[in-house]
Amino acid sequence: MIRVLLADDEGMIRSALAALLRLEEDIDVVAECEDGEQAVAEALRLQPDVCLLDLEMPGLDGVEVAERLHRAIATRCVVVTRHARPGVLRRALASGVAGFLPKSRGADEVAAVIRRVAAGGRYVDPEIAADALSDERSPLTDRELDVLRAGRRGETTGQIARSLSLAPGTVRNHISTILGKLAVGTRQQAVLVAEERGWI
Amino acid sequence: MQSGPTGPPMPGARQLARGITATWWYTLTAVMAFEVMLVVAWTAVAVIEGQDSIARIVVGGGGLVWCASTVLLLRAYRHRDDAEPGIDWRLLLPPMLVAVAFGAAAGSLVGSWQLALMPFAQSLSLLNWPRGVRYRVTIAATLVLASLAYIDSSRISVPDEGPWWLAVVYTAILPVMTVSSLWWWDVLNTMDRARAAESRLAATQERLRVATDVHDLQGHHLQVIALQLELAERLMPVDADAGMEQLRAARGSVDDARQGTRDLAMSFRSVPLGDELANARDLLSAAGLEVEAQIAADAAQAPASALGPVIRETTTNVLRHGGGTRARLALRREGTDWCYLIANDRIAAGETDAEGSGLEGIRRRLAEVGGTLEVQREPDEFTVMARVPARPTTGEGTR
Repeated sequence: MIRVLLADDEGMIRSALAALLRLEEDIDVVAECEDGEQAVAEALRLQPDVCLLDLEMPGLDGVEVAERLHRAIATRCVVVTRHARPGVLRRALASGVAGFLPKSRGADEVAAVIRRVAAGGRYVDPEIAADALSDERSPLTDRELDVLRAGRRGETTGQIARSLSLAPGTVRNHISTILGKLAVGTRQQAVLVAEERGWI
Repeated sequence: MQSGPTGPPMPGARQLARGITATWWYTLTAVMAFEVMLVVAWTAVAVIEGQDSIARIVVGGGGLVWCASTVLLLRAYRHRDDAEPGIDWRLLLPPMLVAVAFGAAAGSLVGSWQLALMPFAQSLSLLNWPRGVRYRVTIAATLVLASLAYIDSSRISVPDEGPWWLAVVYTAILPVMTVSSLWWWDVLNTMDRARAAESRLAATQERLRVATDVHDLQGHHLQVIALQLELAERLMPVDADAGMEQLRAARGSVDDARQGTRDLAMSFRSVPLGDELANARDLLSAAGLEVEAQIAADAAQAPASALGPVIRETTTNVLRHGGGTRARLALRREGTDWCYLIANDRIAAGETDAEGSGLEGIRRRLAEVGGTLEVQREPDEFTVMARVPARPTTGEGTR
């Protein structure tokens, strides 16, 4: 029996999918969670074999949940999304997600992926991969992305510098390079552009 | 399409906006330089005429104050397109009063009607006149200044030295020079606005087109699904099997609708082949593989329509299986062919049917453009090599 945790903030989809998965003989849905925080808590408590996580959830998103669980317990995570923003797959693979599926897949296909992932395999849906490959290249370096990420909630230059252990002047240099590359006027706009395209 | 009004401005637009700003500063500097030179010339006249120091200070110092006051007028001029037509006197009255006061004081001290009226005439020509009126104002101001110069020369004894004539002639042509500078600024500004309006219009038209496409697509599929569900509802009590058949058909229609929507969305996305390969490399290394990539510098010239799907399919296959530790990617030109190669160290036995059919599909598509696909399964390496002629027999570029 594969023990599965389901996390999706859309109640209808979550309960329908749970009901469909329970019809499979070898799958047992042990928890249904409506946001990322709850998913982390329940997963730590129940230690399911596979976590099926919606990407778009309030608070922690699916990849962030997977990242936390990956560090803590030996569960396998599958992330499901309606709209794979470019860059998300890269982030998901880097944080140890074992499967990535579009939401449009039927429950039988989801079940097949759960079995495959539970057996130690990895599954990346061709549609998601096609999206990720036809993705606009980020013109920013990793360091510049770090700076944007550290300042995405409106932190000051000083706070960014401290959190990255950089000199404030260096951070300012990075920011002006970022603004030039993205052709925007403020750091907030740069963060919005980068988030929209899934770079951070 | 990519950047509507809410998106970030294109780099070119930003550069143009910067160019407009630079032109504005250039215009402002030119007008101010005319005025300052004129004040210097009239101060020199006052010195030559042997006026006392108070008169010199009034002409020189007062002149600079007047020059500063015209900056306010110029500022109002710059933003006039965003303002209501006509003249906002609350803002513009102080500079006009400064001009009148300076003219009266300096003109009476030097004894020149022309100097007395010059500041007012100049400030007047900087106001936001309606189109057409501004030229009449300029001509009138020039005529008045020229005739006052004539009156001055007949009233007072004219010194022989240069500055007097310099000041008089320069004063007479000041409004024309100012207005021609502003005219040039207007031309550039209009061009900039036209360009912005054009790109807004293009974005709007594109959005309308997409909206129509989406509406047609969804409308059609939803109607089909509704009919199939209605039929299933009717059939269920009498013929359960036929009802189930309709339900399955409805599910298929939902898939079609989804695929159609996705194709529509994808049709707006196209990246150069080099970027696609770089993305593939990033994804594979994010998945924990050690990636070795050799991509020709002129990869952008390779036929993207033929090789794009190959890259997507093969990268997905490698990603899907995981477990491997190494991958090799290469795109290079070999004679008249483009050659794409992807290899990884997974064991070939793990291949699924879906994957085999994916590769078959690719082989067919490559054959259509005169290309070939080779698959090598060796114990420790799985290699896919696609070869396409550099000039495919069908169109390239769009996917």
